[in-house]
Amino acid sequence: MSIIQFENVSRIYTSGDHELRALDGVSFTLDEGKFVVILGPSGAGKSTLLNLLGGLDSPSEGTITVSGADISKLSDNALADYRASTVGFVFQFYNLIPTLTVYENVRLVSEISKGALDAKDMIGRVGLLDHLNNFPSELSGGEQQRISIARALCKNPKILLCDEPTGALDSETGVMVLKLLLDMAKNYGKTIVIVTHNQNIAKMADVVIRVKNGKIRSMEEQENPLSADEVEW
Amino acid sequence: MLFRKLLRTAWSYKAQFISMILMMTLGIGIFLGFNMEWKTIEYDTSRFLEDTKYADYRLYSESGFTKGDLEKIASIDGVNAATRYLSVNLEIKGESKKSLALDVSENYTVSTFARMSGKDYDEKSDGIWLSDKFAKLNNIEIGDTLTLEFQGLDTQSEVIGLIKAGEHMICVADSNQLMPDFTTFGYAYISPAKLNAILREKVQNNIADEMQKAGVPADMARSQAKMALTDEMLAEAADKVFSQINLRSDMEKSDLEDAVKDKLGRTIMVVPKDDHVVYKQATGEAEEGKTMGSILPVLFLAIAILTMVTTMHRVATKEKTQIGVLKALGFKNRTILLHYSFYGLFIGIVGSVLGAVLGLFVCKLVMSENGMMGTYFDMPDWTAATPAFCYPVIIGTVILLALISFLSVRAQLKGTAADALRPYTPKKMKKSFLEKLPFFGKLNFATKWNIRDLMRHKSRFAMTLVGISGCVILLVGGLGMRDTMSGFLDLLDNGISHYATKVNLVENTSPEAAATLISALDADWESYSGISIDGYTATLDIVHNSKGRFEVVDEDNKPISLRNDGVYLCLRLADKAKIGEYIAFSPYGGEETYRVKVIGYNRSIMTESITMSDKLANELGINYNVSAVYTEKESGEISSSELIAGKQDKRQLMDSFASFVQIMNTMVLILVVAAVILGIVVLYNLGVMSYVERSRELATLKVLGFRSRKIGRLLISQNIWLTVIGVIIGIPAGVVVLRWLLSALASEYELKLILGPMTYAVSIFLTFGVSLLVGWMVARKNKKIDMVEALKAAE
Repeated sequence: MSIIQFENVSRIYTSGDHELRALDGVSFTLDEGKFVVILGPSGAGKSTLLNLLGGLDSPSEGTITVSGADISKLSDNALADYRASTVGFVFQFYNLIPTLTVYENVRLVSEISKGALDAKDMIGRVGLLDHLNNFPSELSGGEQQRISIARALCKNPKILLCDEPTGALDSETGVMVLKLLLDMAKNYGKTIVIVTHNQNIAKMADVVIRVKNGKIRSMEEQENPLSADEVEW
Repeated sequence: MLFRKLLRTAWSYKAQFISMILMMTLGIGIFLGFNMEWKTIEYDTSRFLEDTKYADYRLYSESGFTKGDLEKIASIDGVNAATRYLSVNLEIKGESKKSLALDVSENYTVSTFARMSGKDYDEKSDGIWLSDKFAKLNNIEIGDTLTLEFQGLDTQSEVIGLIKAGEHMICVADSNQLMPDFTTFGYAYISPAKLNAILREKVQNNIADEMQKAGVPADMARSQAKMALTDEMLAEAADKVFSQINLRSDMEKSDLEDAVKDKLGRTIMVVPKDDHVVYKQATGEAEEGKTMGSILPVLFLAIAILTMVTTMHRVATKEKTQIGVLKALGFKNRTILLHYSFYGLFIGIVGSVLGAVLGLFVCKLVMSENGMMGTYFDMPDWTAATPAFCYPVIIGTVILLALISFLSVRAQLKGTAADALRPYTPKKMKKSFLEKLPFFGKLNFATKWNIRDLMRHKSRFAMTLVGISGCVILLVGGLGMRDTMSGFLDLLDNGISHYATKVNLVENTSPEAAATLISALDADWESYSGISIDGYTATLDIVHNSKGRFEVVDEDNKPISLRNDGVYLCLRLADKAKIGEYIAFSPYGGEETYRVKVIGYNRSIMTESITMSDKLANELGINYNVSAVYTEKESGEISSSELIAGKQDKRQLMDSFASFVQIMNTMVLILVVAAVILGIVVLYNLGVMSYVERSRELATLKVLGFRSRKIGRLLISQNIWLTVIGVIIGIPAGVVVLRWLLSALASEYELKLILGPMTYAVSIFLTFGVSLLVGWMVARKNKKIDMVEALKAAE
């Protein structure tokens, strides 16, 4: 069953007379529970695509449907509600709140999300119960990213969106984080969309979308994706 | 090229730059304005007093001074000039409730006047020189004739000149009047020749009256009186009216007192200029200005500099990558430092120039002919003057600002170019002591977030508190001053004065004549005379107020029913003796010393006095004359007599405070406006800074699904908490500042600190208003936050 549908979506930035088409008439459909990797070089439009899907931005043209609802013309508040209920984000630089402890960072989402899961349980699942009362600055990069994953999943979203989730990590930690991400998503039955320029991650995906110059160059489904351990990093 | 970068960078930080320039303008402006104000008072008044040969000492003798006395005093080594002097309040005939102080400086070497128009001084002239301000407000012109009543005698004089006189630079009828009111009271000078002519007529009239009483027909009595008048009689009359010698001398008071006693063989009341209303009030105003000038400007300047420190630091950290780029491009550290130091220099110079303009404006608002002090001082020149120390302070501030920029940037320049290129990393989060408190864990996320944010950015936190507390201090100080003054006037009007008219008696009124008048007017009375308390000049106030026409009040402004077993000291003299102790004083002009028990303290409106009942004065055998009587009769109902030196309507007296109240209100308005601007500028500047610092966190919240309104509430709630703390600090601090201001004023007035509920309400309401307004302005930015941009960079 499809969960995400892009129909002829464009995102155009104008600056004076100059027009930049970051996304140009993109259309695709994604099914629920899939692990999707969006690949492309810098400036290809993959982050724009993720931002539109995450409700951080609205398209200039076209329609985006998520779980049957059109999110392309929502108001600011409706978009905030959409982000609160439907999507969870994992960023390259973790984006934890530095003034909140590990527990509080994860627990934070229950302020806005009615169906939020138990924060402590979620932290336990990413293996950081010992660090409940630490501040993010007291954790390593990998640990911070694990907390970021816990926070994203704690909202119990339908879709998990990850922007270069291993970009700031060394490869060993990166693999560990990826494994965790996939395991967690699978356990909770989430759709994952990862934006990256790391070809290796693509080997693990159910669906790989290649983006270049604002257009989709290819979209392929992989019958037998590799596990994190099978990939040569 | 770098200069172009400087301008563009300044523009990109316009909120910070404008607020820093505004703070500097306010800081320098208020600093200069207040200091120029007192310096201008000091400079202009002292110049005018010098120009009109204002007396350094006044010698008073109830029995008057003879020409021989004057010669003896003039011969004292150290006395530079001396004159017999007369200053008496007279009513103007045909003008209801208008009176003049009529002055004669016998040899015109001391206490002269400055001619503004008309004829120069001439010792033989028959005319009168009138205060130009009084003339203007009462439509009197040169050539008009004034009829004055001098000790029951009508005397006419033509106005021949309009003048200003140092002796009346603050033109009040007596010490009960706080503010001059030239519509009802002015001053004038006549020549000694004119005074002689008046005295001649008066003495002749007296002789003729005596003759008529003896049965001589009126016509004959008058012509015979003319012949009977001798020079000796005239001289004797003059000796009686000249109850004052004004002199110029640099001698110490005690030396002069001894020398006078030595020359005249009797103790004479010697009043230095420091105790004369004009000099005392003028120096008092300057001192008040200095006091005010030492609080407000320091507060403003300090806040301006602190704002600069925090803001420049933030700008420098924000510019870290730029600094790194310049360094990587090969710019030397020195060039980069100079470049960034110019920011502080630029703000300092622009702020100082604008501040100088604001300072002059503030000074002129107070000290100019049409300014607030225009009604208080009557003097010809209002040139603005600046204390010398202001220049180095301003230059120092500008250098300091450049130095602040220099140091902020130097911190970013440490290490290699690669270090400088790395983005600024905020301080690591550490657990504060608050986290250990049991309730902390129970706080909601927003509160924890805000508390930790404040603990993480302590300087911003402290600066915000300083800004809010400063705002509250100014509001409480300004509005409290107004409450206190209103309370003071209310006390004067309703608590102390229950009379319609105060009648001042001539100095040597006999007890019998006074008793007749008192009974005719159904009046209470008071006698005041100069005394020395171990060399300290004060007033002995003997009171008879059985009819309740006026009250003596205690520290709490409650009426005192005077006891007869001791005296009351006014609050300013409270340090002279404790209750139950004895105090000794000697009246001027006598040899006796009285030792009396102190049984209480009273709040004296103007004079520094020892108060006692007439019964006690009689028991002690003190020799006194009634000085003033207080009656419920209107001044129009009281017929003139030789005894009456002047009449003062209570309503008129209270009305004279109207301009005083107006000055007060303007001052309060300035303070309130300054407080609000201070609050807005500091809070907005810090609010924007806090917003920028937290933009990444705010963007994260937004991405997580927090609505803008909820995030806005989070930002505003921090402002509210800071405001609550600021108010809690600011209110007692405001009371302390107000108390301190009042104690600085205490040498002039005995004011009871009054803070009405409205003052608290308005101060709190305005501060919260400012805080919410700024919070809202900052929170509004949150809607426009670019989530994608804010999340891109690494922490």
